[in-house]
Amino acid sequence: AKEVFLRQQRATPNLRKLVYGKVAEEEEDDGDSEEEELGGLFRVSRPEKSKKARADAMDCSRFQPDTGHDWEDEEMLASIRDCFVTGKWEGDRD
Amino acid sequence: MASLTYEGCNFFRQRLVLSTLSGKRVKIRNIRPKDDNPGLRDFEASFIRLLDKVTNGTRIEINQTGTVLFYQPGLLYGGTVEHDCNTQRAVGYYLEALIMLAPFMKSPLKAVLKGVTNDQTDPSVDLLKATAIPLMKKFGIDGESLEIKVVKRGMAPGGGGEVLFTCPVRRTIRPVQMTEAGKIKRIRGTAYSVRVSPQMANRIVDSARGVLNKFIPDIYIYTDHMKGGHSGKSPGFGLTLVAETVDGMFLSAELTSSPQGRGQPTLPEDLGRNCAKLLLEEIYRGGCVDSTNQSLALLYMTLGQQDVSKVLLGPLSPYTIEFLRHIRDFFQIMFKIETQKPGEDEKKGGDKVLMTCVGAGYTNISKSIK
Repeated sequence: AKEVFLRQQRATPNLRKLVYGKVAEEEEDDGDSEEEELGGLFRVSRPEKSKKARADAMDCSRFQPDTGHDWEDEEMLASIRDCFVTGKWEGDRD
Repeated sequence: MASLTYEGCNFFRQRLVLSTLSGKRVKIRNIRPKDDNPGLRDFEASFIRLLDKVTNGTRIEINQTGTVLFYQPGLLYGGTVEHDCNTQRAVGYYLEALIMLAPFMKSPLKAVLKGVTNDQTDPSVDLLKATAIPLMKKFGIDGESLEIKVVKRGMAPGGGGEVLFTCPVRRTIRPVQMTEAGKIKRIRGTAYSVRVSPQMANRIVDSARGVLNKFIPDIYIYTDHMKGGHSGKSPGFGLTLVAETVDGMFLSAELTSSPQGRGQPTLPEDLGRNCAKLLLEEIYRGGCVDSTNQSLALLYMTLGQQDVSKVLLGPLSPYTIEFLRHIRDFFQIMFKIETQKPGEDEKKGGDKVLMTCVGAGYTNISKSIK
């Protein structure tokens, strides 16, 4: 149980950082890229480009599914078996 | 008062919606600056016009090329609104934003939206009807007048559909505790077809059932074939599937045939089977709210009374992650995000995320008292 708690503790700030911390990181990146000038004339623009691509992407709330899952596979089908009422029930709930 | 500044055309709707709710001004720069056709597109202009219709005193400034937008929100007024939605995007694009705003209007909203009801990019009207409405009820937004109705169906690219959305107003939003999704007790769906043979819908139903019957016997898929003036301008067909759990949570998936004259023609059998697989994927992700409505649930949590709200979600979509960042910008609220791994011998799909926050205590001051 202790291990589980520790693992959770470790996972929590990670996700939080992914959501909220990333913004700060990106701002830092931007600052860096402007300093990185080549011969005082050209700027390294690659990191900015990836940010631009995201900024100009389509505004759509749909979450594209993970193509890695093959729903023909029996194992995959079995992995959600307990989500249904026909699956296994926990002892205390009926 | 300084305004929040953003860049790029992505997340356009959430920025304007949050700005309207928080009353903070927003400026969006660099909207497609290097595109052949720079600036705002027609569907975005149409979206701004819709916001202008439901509010009072909104100030909008757009520069000559349309690459810079300044938006100063007015009061949410509501009332009866009719809007011709641009057919580049489906009605769902506009409706998603209206659903976020509707409970906070001065007078109850009754909106008639005309355009494309189902397309391949946006959540369809059927999907929002099946998932967003029950979700709103959980937050205490209910009553007889809460309704989404497909009056006429219109497929991409022609459109010609019509949707009625009515929503009551609330002074405050109830905090929720949705930490347990429960098991799926039934699957419902709608297979629709317009301007094609009505047999298409039946073929979709058969193939979708073939996949889902392995899990649960309680499946009913309605066939909806609209004719004549109710069938819009373009032919097409599609399927929306919704899984309902014993605790009243809804998970959904949908697919639509490719529009006439664009892309590969779609076989109804393939569409049914693939849509059923998408539903399985959604069930694998799990949570109490499906991936399309994540941001709606998080918004209502943010605007709830000053009390703790908890919602269990599947993996956060990129759109939702950006939405969380925007909520922090506009309302200074950050969520506590915890991952929940399923137990070893449980077969309940992937990791889940538990989102916790204390509401901002937002009250709808413009609601008229009767």
